[in-house]
Amino acid sequence: MSEDPALGELLDILSDEYAREILAATSIKPMSAQELADECEMSKPTVYRRVERLQGHGLLEEQTKIRTRNNHYSVYTATLSEVSIELDTGSFEAAVTRTDESFPGERESDTADRFKKMWEDL
Amino acid sequence: MAPVATVIDWVIIALALGSTLVGSYVGYQAYRGYRRHDSRTMQALSMGLFFLTAVAFSIAFVGSLLLREGYLGLQYQQPLTLVTRLFQFFGVLLIAYSLHSRG
Repeated sequence: MSEDPALGELLDILSDEYAREILAATSIKPMSAQELADECEMSKPTVYRRVERLQGHGLLEEQTKIRTRNNHYSVYTATLSEVSIELDTGSFEAAVTRTDESFPGERESDTADRFKKMWEDL
Repeated sequence: MAPVATVIDWVIIALALGSTLVGSYVGYQAYRGYRRHDSRTMQALSMGLFFLTAVAFSIAFVGSLLLREGYLGLQYQQPLTLVTRLFQFFGVLLIAYSLHSRG
């Protein structure tokens, strides 16, 4: 009886209130760390920590904006669309649906999910 | 030192076995895709891959062993090849079908 270790980590990050607020806010429009800190009323270090973890799970996408003054800043967009957890004959299977991938299945961590998306998109 | 023909025989068997294992792995991932998403497309793909690799090879392999050991008469060689080819054909048919099925 083993389960995908990624599932625990995924549930762990989603159980975090700050992480969920960041996802909720960035699902409306891309936001910078400063905007997130203001909007969700958390400190910038908190924002950065959550952003890093969310990026690690491919739930948040970073885009670099270039200002005219030659400095850049990053804005973040939620890529998470849906999480479904299935219990089937002794193991949990999590399926994460993400939005706008540059190729089908790109952000899927599971081979079978990636395979399905690639194949069905041919 | 084994004769070259014997070595080549073993290499052929090893390659066939390797193809079966890798094909089965791909088929297994397709099967998981089918189970996780209840996708008929992936169901057809996984069955096609299994027929094409695992099933066809197993029949050919077991058949050739039985023939070599004399458990089966030589008159069965052609039917065995026919069955193997049928599974291979059925396998690629299923894969082609899965390319065009949706859902």
